[in-house]
Amino acid sequence: MSCHDIKEMTVPYLELDLDPARVHEVTAHLESCVSCRNEMESVRQVLVLVKLKDQAVPDPGERFWQDFPEMVRRQLSPPFRRSRTWPVWPAALAAAVVLFIGLWLLMAGQPSEEFRAKGSSTPTSETTSEASRSSSTDDLPDLTEADWDKAWDEDDPDMVLVGLAAPLDLLTLDRLFNDI
Amino acid sequence: MEESDNQLLDRYAAKDETAFEELVRRHQRTIYDLAYRMLENHADASDLAQKTFVQAFLHLGSFRRESSFRTWLFQIGLNLCRNAIRDRARLSHENVEDYPLVAAEDVFKSVSDAEVRHRLGSAIRRLPERQREALVLRVYHNHAFAEIGTIMSCSEGTAKANYHHAVNKLRQVLLGGEKKP
Repeated sequence: MSCHDIKEMTVPYLELDLDPARVHEVTAHLESCVSCRNEMESVRQVLVLVKLKDQAVPDPGERFWQDFPEMVRRQLSPPFRRSRTWPVWPAALAAAVVLFIGLWLLMAGQPSEEFRAKGSSTPTSETTSEASRSSSTDDLPDLTEADWDKAWDEDDPDMVLVGLAAPLDLLTLDRLFNDI
Repeated sequence: MEESDNQLLDRYAAKDETAFEELVRRHQRTIYDLAYRMLENHADASDLAQKTFVQAFLHLGSFRRESSFRTWLFQIGLNLCRNAIRDRARLSHENVEDYPLVAAEDVFKSVSDAEVRHRLGSAIRRLPERQREALVLRVYHNHAFAEIGTIMSCSEGTAKANYHHAVNKLRQVLLGGEKKP
């Protein structure tokens, strides 16, 4: 075994990481080679010195170690905590259903002006729309032949509507567009 | 008789909160020690040690128990250390080989010398990342090379080689070994 071989095996030898046959060879070489023996000793001293530095990590104190698990826990959402919290989606679904029903009641169940004016009880959505339709047509003012002629003479369709709507009061217009 | 880590992990999986605390307490000092040796200040070490446990418990499902829980914590901690060190961009600019060598002398004469200890600390800090990891895991945490390989995600032989190079470089710095060509 050459000095170069020994050099390669210095650390494993000191770390007791060689098989017994190799250990025997290295030991035999060291006994006869002063240079390798010095080399081995210097590496051993380095290892000792490095291990002495083991005391260099200062202890942060017992309070730190006591609090440490809690510090970790705060950054963590463990499964047992997650299961205790309410999932978001049922709440969102419930809110959506409530909103939908609310809007539906608002749109379909609102009593018409006539029912309110006549002091009748709250009508159903069916009766409301029927009543609204009949009252709207009944209340529309009659257009004269001249009005129709004037309206159809206009090129712009929007102007036709404007022309037709001109004689109507605002309340009637509102009902008309609601029916449409 | 003390429960094993795996028994505690089973209890944790069954939503036993006390198992969590026991697992953290059991390994907190070791992981903090690793973090401190790699990052060299309390604030970073504390932060990194906490992150190590957070990552471990968040990804417990991926822990297959092929290694020990301790080894797995070391793997996570070491990866976080690597990222932290790279973020600092400290090691990339300096190398132990650039460090001036001292004259050969009996190291034991200098053990009490603060200058030598400081030199050693600086030399360890300037070791290439993998060599430093192997040194810390071997010297300060007494891991077997096979375990170091698992933690560093390399073969046992590579772990040994890294350790060997680390010790030789420290020897060069401390004792004035062979010079760079």
